[in-house]
Order: sequence, then C-alpha cells, then structure tokens
Amino acid sequence: MNEARVIKPEQLFPAVPESIFLFRSCTGSMEYPGTENAIKEIMAKLGIEVVMDPDQTCCSGYLLTCSVYKPEFSLAVTARNLAIVEQKKLDTYMFCNGCYGYNRELAHIMNHNPAYMKMANNVIARQGYKYEGKTKIYHVQELWYRLIDEIAARVVVPLTGLRVGIHYGCHYLAAQYNILDDGGYPTFHEEIIEALGGVPVFYKERQLCCGYAVGRGFTHREETVQPHLYKKFRSAKAAGVEIMTTVCPGCNVALDREQPNLARRYGVEFNIPIIDLSQLIGIAMGVPLKKLGFEANSVPLDGVLDKLGIDRREQGE
Amino acid sequence: MPREKYRDKVEGLFKKADMYNLVENLETCLACGKCVGNCPVASLNPSYNPRQIISDVLNGEAQRWLQSEEIWRCFWCAGCYTVCPNDIHFPLLMMQLRYLAAENNYGVKYIMPFKRFALRAIEDGLTFAPGEKGRQKIMRYRSNIGAAPWPEISEKAIAEYKELSDLTGATEHLQNITDEDEKPVEFKYLEGRITGE
Repeated sequence: MNEARVIKPEQLFPAVPESIFLFRSCTGSMEYPGTENAIKEIMAKLGIEVVMDPDQTCCSGYLLTCSVYKPEFSLAVTARNLAIVEQKKLDTYMFCNGCYGYNRELAHIMNHNPAYMKMANNVIARQGYKYEGKTKIYHVQELWYRLIDEIAARVVVPLTGLRVGIHYGCHYLAAQYNILDDGGYPTFHEEIIEALGGVPVFYKERQLCCGYAVGRGFTHREETVQPHLYKKFRSAKAAGVEIMTTVCPGCNVALDREQPNLARRYGVEFNIPIIDLSQLIGIAMGVPLKKLGFEANSVPLDGVLDKLGIDRREQGE
Repeated sequence: MPREKYRDKVEGLFKKADMYNLVENLETCLACGKCVGNCPVASLNPSYNPRQIISDVLNGEAQRWLQSEEIWRCFWCAGCYTVCPNDIHFPLLMMQLRYLAAENNYGVKYIMPFKRFALRAIEDGLTFAPGEKGRQKIMRYRSNIGAAPWPEISEKAIAEYKELSDLTGATEHLQNITDEDEKPVEFKYLEGRITGE
C-alpha cells in the first residue's frame, strides 16, 4: 500500500528499452493474430527489437479463474514462463489484459510470500528453471503511451474525424499500483487517439467490463452477459462511436463475436468494429492492412476504412 | 428487512475460506458498499451483493453463499477491488468461495464446460485451441498475415506444461471434477432486495 498508484510513463520507463520480450497470448495468437502482428510491425518502425520464445506456454490464468485450475499449477506456470524471460535478461511485455493481470498478480503473490515462491521454484526446478522475480511485467500499451510523441510523428494516415470509443478492459486498471492511470477514470487511451488525429468519444458505459471474463460468456450468456453488453453498446452507439479499441484479445472476442448474437436477440444492429489499440496505431502508421489481419473480425471494418480513404484492394486485402 | 441472524455460526470461517491466504485484510471491510455500487453484475442482478457476501463470510454464515447462484455470476472484473478503500481483493476471495462451493458439489455445472477446455489446454500448452475445423481457419488467417501457420509453441513447452499440471496435482484435480453428485444452487440473497422483476 506504500507504492504509488498512478505513475508517469517516464517514471515507468526512465529509458526506452532496446528490446522487449513479447509474451504470446493464446487468444491473441489464435483468434486475432493481427494483434500480435501489429505490435511487431509498430515496434519495427520504432526501432525496438521484439523477442519471443517458443518455450513460453499459456499463462493459465483464464482457466484458473474459471475454477478448473488450482493456484498451485498457475503459480508454477507463471514462475516457469517468467524464468524463461529472466534468462534473457529482459522485461516482459503483455498485450493481453488477462496475461498482464494474472502474471502480475501471481508474480506479486510469489514475490511477497516466500512460501509460494519456494513452492513454485521447487516444482520448476525439476525442469531446470529458477524464478527470481527480477523481470518486470509491463503491458504493451504502456510503451505506446511512453512513445506517444514518436508515434504521433510517424502517423501517415491521420484518423481525422474518426470517432473512437475506448474499452480499457478491467485487468490492467485493476492492478491498481504502478499503472499509468486512475482505475476510476482513466484517460490515457484517449490521449493516444488524439495523437493519432482521431476523436476520442467518452460514452457513458466506457468502463463497463466485456462480460466474458471467467467464462460467464459460456455459463451465463443469456441471463447476464448479453443484457450487460447491450447496455454498453447502446451507450456507445448513442454517443456516435464508429469503432472501438481494446487492449485485450479476450475483450475483443467478447465485444466482436457477441454483436451478431445481440442483433438477433434485441433486433438492433450496432455494427461497431472492435479492434486492438495496436491495430489502430498500425493503421495510422501505415502498416499494410493485410498484415493487420482484420479478416478475423466478425464485424467488418469497411465503413471505417472507407472513411479514412484507405483502398483495401490496393493493399491486397 | 429482517436483521441478519447467523444461527449456525462457524468460528473462524473467513480463515477457512481464505485457504490460500490471499485476502488477509478481509476483516478490515468497512461495509461502505462502494464495491456494490461499482459492480456491473449487481446492476443487472441486484441480489448479487459483494458487501453482503463479505459480511456472511466474516460472520461465519457458512451455507448461504455456498449454496447460492449469486457467487457464480461474478465477472471477476475487479471493479470492487478498484474502489475498495481498504484494498480488499474481493475477486481472490470469490475464487476461493467457488472452490469451496464446488468441493461441496454446488455449482459444478458452472465449472464442467471448462473441464473440457482445460483437458485440451494441458495437451496444447494453449488455452482455447479449437478442433480441426477451427484450426484450419486460424492457420489460414495466420498465413494470410505472413505469420507461421500455428502459434510458435515448442514441443518442449507443451510437454513441460503438461508435466507441471501432473506435478502440482492439477491433472488429477481436473479428472476428479464431476457433476454426478451435483446439488442445486438457487438465489439466496433475494430477501429485501428490489430486483426489478
């Protein structure tokens, strides 16, 4: 409780890293592979080396919170994955709020409770790993905010007049300490949108959760998740949101894949494309559309791309 | 609303519920109710009330939440934790309450769908890798953006993930999850609530 809650990006990153370890997200690499690709493309433009490792596994957090895994397993998995990053002497960058939240929480538990650290290390020692708690855990969006000026300077397709609604996702802000903004009323994504030339839209249910978390999309879809999302999208539509950004492939699944179901149930077509913030930065920085993988989206981006004057055929989509 | 009565009070229940020592500050709950006000689930299901559940756990009421439908509605969004003046990590309490409920055969139906996903995940090293048809689609999308057709996860990673699952007892725990003795859950916190229905 003695730590600062909100800190400035310059405090978080006194120096911009030369290379980062990018933590593979299961949902990000399978459902929306364009997210991971967008990050690699932007990092290349910014001159930051991206390191990944095939030995890294799923963070296991999602199934932990769905009550099928027990913490013993997830602590060991977290320790193993982070030990792999530590061998490379790098810091860990997540592009999924889930991976970020679970890794930070589980790493925090191990770093503040020697019994858990020992328990996890005893298990992974059999595979030849040792976790020391040295690697720092960041979210890629934090680096975007740190490099906001560099990104703004490289914008080639300004998002002029594009009304962007933000979905922060819960598990970044819920980390509470040492994060970029106040969990109660964050605004740093809006600043990034402005830097890209777009118009951030503050819709009423901006901070409403995606609803798919801990599997409720499977078990309570009709009772809770759909009315919840209906409320969110109604407020976004009323505020004139044309596209919504997330920083979590899990939120992306919930908000994108559920829209056709909402249309069937409530008879209202929202048609708000949901993409990752990195993909939007990618568009603005002129990453070829083909590399951003919008093919995977259920709600197509056609209207938005037309508005921005991007010719899809020219870009080989 | 009738005053709460805790007839079958279980001494030290909150220590038992917090089996992993993750919410050691639970007793500092001020009952201010900010968690309820910031809860998206409570806004749709008014009988889901984090403050009341904390109160029950602290007061040793061991049955009501255990047999309730309410505890299975939490989204784990941590909106409650974000606004808690005393930093009580309610989602971590919720996680453990669900373990206890499932151990007592309540709400297992809300875990069963994930048993299948988890058994798959320990074979894949990835969560939610789909079946053959879905795999083809992923491989097509990934190839189209110029990435390797399948997420680059090594055989070593998959084998070690599975081994960790075996070593920590997760595999055994998974195989033992069954709904054979399932007991029904129901809304237990409706009394005195304006549910809007």
